[in-house]
Amino acid sequence: MPPLRPISSVSVDPSRLERLLRDLGPQVRRGALPSLPPPRCPTGIAVIDGLLGGGFPRGHLSEVAGAASSGRTALALGLLAEATRAGEIAAVVDAADAFDAASAVAAGAALERVLWVRAPHVRAALRSVERLLEARGFPLILVDLVGREARDACCPTVWSRLARAAAGAQAALVLLAGRRLAGTSAELALEMQPRRACFVGTPALLEELEVQAVLARTRSGLCGAAGRVASVRLRVLGSAA
Amino acid sequence: MRIACLLAADLPLAAVLRAQPELAGLPLAIVSGVGPRAQVIAISAEAARAGVRPTFSVVHARSICPALRVRVASPALERAACETLLDVARSLSPRVAAAPRCSGVYAAEAAVYLDASGVSSLFRSEEGFAAALTTRAQTAGIPAMAAVASSRGVSLLAARCIARGLSQGAQNVRSAAERFRAAGESTHEPQDTDTVLVLAPAEEATFLDPLPIDLLDPEDVLAEALTRFGIRRVGELTRLPRRSLVTRLGPGVLRLLALAHGEKDTVPLPSAAETRVEEGVDLEWPIENLEPLSFVLRGLVARLAERLELRGLVCGDLDLELRLAGGGCDTRRVGVSAPNGDPRTLLGVLRLALEHPLPRAPVEGIALATEGRPMRTDQLDLFRPAGPTPSALGRTLAELEALCGNERVGAPLLVDDPHPDAFAQSPFALPRSAPKTTLRPAVAIAALRALRPPVPAEVRAPRGRPEWIRSAVANGPIVGLAGPWRTTGGWWSPERRFAFDSFDVRTGDGNVIRLRFDLVHCRWQVDAIYD
Repeated sequence: MPPLRPISSVSVDPSRLERLLRDLGPQVRRGALPSLPPPRCPTGIAVIDGLLGGGFPRGHLSEVAGAASSGRTALALGLLAEATRAGEIAAVVDAADAFDAASAVAAGAALERVLWVRAPHVRAALRSVERLLEARGFPLILVDLVGREARDACCPTVWSRLARAAAGAQAALVLLAGRRLAGTSAELALEMQPRRACFVGTPALLEELEVQAVLARTRSGLCGAAGRVASVRLRVLGSAA
Repeated sequence: MRIACLLAADLPLAAVLRAQPELAGLPLAIVSGVGPRAQVIAISAEAARAGVRPTFSVVHARSICPALRVRVASPALERAACETLLDVARSLSPRVAAAPRCSGVYAAEAAVYLDASGVSSLFRSEEGFAAALTTRAQTAGIPAMAAVASSRGVSLLAARCIARGLSQGAQNVRSAAERFRAAGESTHEPQDTDTVLVLAPAEEATFLDPLPIDLLDPEDVLAEALTRFGIRRVGELTRLPRRSLVTRLGPGVLRLLALAHGEKDTVPLPSAAETRVEEGVDLEWPIENLEPLSFVLRGLVARLAERLELRGLVCGDLDLELRLAGGGCDTRRVGVSAPNGDPRTLLGVLRLALEHPLPRAPVEGIALATEGRPMRTDQLDLFRPAGPTPSALGRTLAELEALCGNERVGAPLLVDDPHPDAFAQSPFALPRSAPKTTLRPAVAIAALRALRPPVPAEVRAPRGRPEWIRSAVANGPIVGLAGPWRTTGGWWSPERRFAFDSFDVRTGDGNVIRLRFDLVHCRWQVDAIYD
């Protein structure tokens, strides 16, 4: 067997190469490195992280939608806690004015690393998000529009604009709402549903909420091995505590 | 002691060109007022080449040069230009003073004196220092010339020499330029050696000798008498006996003699620097709409930021004063939460402040002032995730406060207050320390969504226990209930007194809420939702 020659020393006739490429046609593609999965922001809730393949993707717009008492806020505060525990700065743009500092601390968030913007209406909230994305350096931005969707309707093109800005800033932009708003601009959509509330003991105490998360949309197709539905139990540290 | 004089020879023209740089290179005349009979008081070089002269009326000037652009002299712009000249001087020397404004021939001049002692170690030579001064003034939009001498008077005369392009002065300028080049300067500033003049102490008398006597700016009566006596040069004046001159021409001649002899100044230059910066503009036509007003404000803000940068400061809260048509004034204080020097952000903040409410009448003049603040310093950490840069964060916070309101942006705080509705925010700043190690909760925790203000509810509660609810957030029969838990406080004050009985409630529509009965006002409210 003759010894193999190194590839660099093989002389290629350009006309033959051109003919070969023409014959192969669309079967030939320009070479590229396989794209790496985007880094993720974990929620700290194991089943949800399993469902999402590690958390919410950075550089993308994601949605968490659902009815009241479905665990949307618990999920958001989990995200906040994980980000601030890692030493990152996070922003909460709160058009609903519903952020509860005590709940955030109970979830493990470091409040001094949270910028809380109490936007008076949805338009101001969306403009605030744009400013935060322009500033760069906020790896997690939560936008709470719960209860404001119908009251302050916004132009649908805004979501694609925000998704592009999030990609530029490499920030995980997570939208909380009663229903899905961003449509195809969202990389990932999680629908939360309330299941039951457990009251135990005498006198009765509210002990936990059981909710269900459904992965309603994922554009990249990357999701965890746990399938598309997960059930979560949320412990209540309520009025009695 | 060495004194430098920074001189803007034609302030009205320089002030207008600084505010409207697009007029540079065009035939331009600055006039004393509105209307065709207004007198031309300053002209650009292009207008002079076309034949326009000061003292012409606007009609006369336009008949000679149809393309002539005419602008009314603005005291506000001139004041700002003078201040800018001071800022330029302050950026290079700690001791600075504005020269008093002259009258007559030199009424259009603005001059600033600054201490030039010991500058050679920074700029290699006094020529380099003077060149740096003129370059900075040019960058700030004011063409100026600089001269360095042993006293304020001689430095002013030398600067006037450059401005008037006198042959003797020009020769000195050339010689200074040659010396400057020969010294092989390598300062960090670009240098313009055609507008600087440095006089060594030994050559001052020789320099002053052939200068025309009107450079000393004598009063009209004195100038007439000197002409009558045939005294036309400074040297001719200094050679006459002082006593006889005073006897014949009065004590006013003593000031001229002191200048002509280059006598040293006794009053030292002040060192205190103000931090307040003001910019203003008088509009030729009133502006009614926000868009053109923003256009004018953009220039003002840019100039304000430029001057603050010269002082090494950034912008604090803004004081905006709008002079309205028909008399009256609209004064507003615009808060800038995080001091910053970005003109785009400042303009955005001003625009938002002007939107609510709009000025009640067309605007005729604008004055903008701010108290300069030191720039924020921050040491970033190599081992922590990079957050926003301090300047970007400052800019963003200012924009967010302008969008949402001053009290609505900040870091959340845990409040030491028993009232269930209490919450607070503190000003947000980048944390300097590593995050505290907090344990992750072993189980997922349900969160509360606060309802601010609490939502009123209609509740059917026989025997004091709620059984049915109707409200904006939850409706129907109550299928799960825990409580009540009583919270009271503020008993010492009738206004702050509160007492609530709280219940955790699950309603028929699936919501889990926190319901409370207000014992003080006897009403039911929903104050939070478990989510």
